[in-house]
Amino acid sequence: MTRIATRLLTWLALAIAFVVFVFPLYYLVVTSLKTHAELFQAVPTLFPRQPTLASYSSLLFDQGFAQLLLNSIVVGISATALALVIAFAICYPITRLPVRPRMRSFVLNWALSLRFLPPIAVVIPYFLIVRTIGLYNQIPALVIVYTIFNLPLSIWMLKGFLEQIPAEVEEAALVDGGTRFQAFRLVLLPLASTGILAAGIIVFAFDWAEFLFAFILTATPDSMTFPVGVQGLVTQFEIIWNDMAAGGVIAILIPLVLMLFARRYVIAGLTFGVIREK
Amino acid sequence: MTAGAPGGAIGTAPAVPPSRGPFAVPARIRSGWYQRSRQERLALRLLLPVFGLVFVAATIPFVLAVVQALTSDDGRFIGADNFGRALSNDQLFEAIRQTAIYGSVVLPTEILLGLGLALLVHRTVKSRVLRAVIYVAAMIPIVIPQVAVGVVFRLLYIPDYGLINVLLGQTGNSQILWLSSPPLAIFAVASVDIWQWTPFVYLIMFAGLQTVPPESVEAAQLDGATSWTQFRHIELFYLRPLLLLVFFFRLADVLRVFDHVYILTGGGPGTTTQFLSLYLYRIAFRFSDLGQASALAVLVMAFMIVLYTVISRFLPADTSS
Repeated sequence: MTRIATRLLTWLALAIAFVVFVFPLYYLVVTSLKTHAELFQAVPTLFPRQPTLASYSSLLFDQGFAQLLLNSIVVGISATALALVIAFAICYPITRLPVRPRMRSFVLNWALSLRFLPPIAVVIPYFLIVRTIGLYNQIPALVIVYTIFNLPLSIWMLKGFLEQIPAEVEEAALVDGGTRFQAFRLVLLPLASTGILAAGIIVFAFDWAEFLFAFILTATPDSMTFPVGVQGLVTQFEIIWNDMAAGGVIAILIPLVLMLFARRYVIAGLTFGVIREK
Repeated sequence: MTAGAPGGAIGTAPAVPPSRGPFAVPARIRSGWYQRSRQERLALRLLLPVFGLVFVAATIPFVLAVVQALTSDDGRFIGADNFGRALSNDQLFEAIRQTAIYGSVVLPTEILLGLGLALLVHRTVKSRVLRAVIYVAAMIPIVIPQVAVGVVFRLLYIPDYGLINVLLGQTGNSQILWLSSPPLAIFAVASVDIWQWTPFVYLIMFAGLQTVPPESVEAAQLDGATSWTQFRHIELFYLRPLLLLVFFFRLADVLRVFDHVYILTGGGPGTTTQFLSLYLYRIAFRFSDLGQASALAVLVMAFMIVLYTVISRFLPADTSS
């Protein structure tokens, strides 16, 4: 009897946890589908009466958020590509070639230490630099800053993936008369491609979600990123709830879809490879 | 900054004794370029230019912040004036105190709740499909932008439209002002953090529980171990390094918390949710006092370097080979 009672209680606890964690997101989606009229009901509704995508088109086209979306994607892709190339150039020698342990651990620890710096402390001097060299409110400034600040993650993820590829596969190519570059291009790169893709997805999602740097280093819709635009919807004087919710949904949707593809690597990414999901 | 790292992956460079001072080791052994193997030279040729570049790019802010903090707007050297002003501002200590309160609410709650949920799922949910569903569900809050999280909780906490007041039956004049009354605002903001990051703790703890060898659990159960003793004496042993890891990652995040707080309360009401990052933001970009802000940035970075040095001793050592 008590066994059944405890089982019931644990399932109840799990169900409550599930509702607490999922319901707020549900409410966001529902709000984004409501009509303006429905927003002003005395009691908010839990199901949209006449679901409509009007708030999405109003946001993206009438209010010009399509441009911000594009900016975010351009910044994200450029910064991700740059970070991956740089991280690979650093990880290849430290995992595949005989680098002294002290240098290796210096590089890795330096990268990890960047992860712990609060962005606000870093953005103040970057703001001064960017303003001085005339990159304020320019997309390249964001690309550079995002690249640097996603290097720790990129380096640690790629290091993890490269380490898992046995040295013998490349050595075999070398023994067969290939050059080291051929071994790299024809053997290592194909084997590492899944890992590189996963790292790319996760880094892109981080770039996409970044707020503070973009908030401070950009000023107009020409270079503003999507989250900065959404922030503007929330803090303006009279909030239009369904537009704001639509912004939230779009901001969430992109990383969410990407993460479903890279789900095995998310935890490894967030913990710098200390935890590996099977 | 050095956690003892095991050797390189391929081959092994001849072990070099660490230098114990400027004259301790003959220079020809330590740094002779041609003493190194061809492969090692290749490695350095690939590594050093790229690493050098990013190292400089990431270090410049620190140097520049120091310079900015020590000079006035017209470039004169003014010594420690900015530091003096930064440290004599009572609001700084107010910000530190509020950050500490926030952290002491958020960190224990997230860790205990996440650990509890992990144990619960680990013990009761055996179905692989269900576990996978929970895995993905737990990942959702983690991967969504904090700005969007701010939006979500605006919808729940705001007086006129917010669902929480409606659910509590508090409408009209008896509305609870979650985000604009001093004692509540900090907890409202903390609840958002808990919502977003408890699943992170859960995922790490759950992954950690999977590494506990089933044999030792079975043996303990044969000996009549209760759920609690099983946790206390077996599972906790395997989870301890992960708990430390989670604690330090979350601590770093608490010290940098900005996005969702900015969106929900903007640091208010008054200064109750003006945490460290929001305070720096205000000094730098609202009051445009870049001198004082740079001094603060230097102090924060210095503090984080010290904290990191301490932390890295406790983190699980570099994982390779």
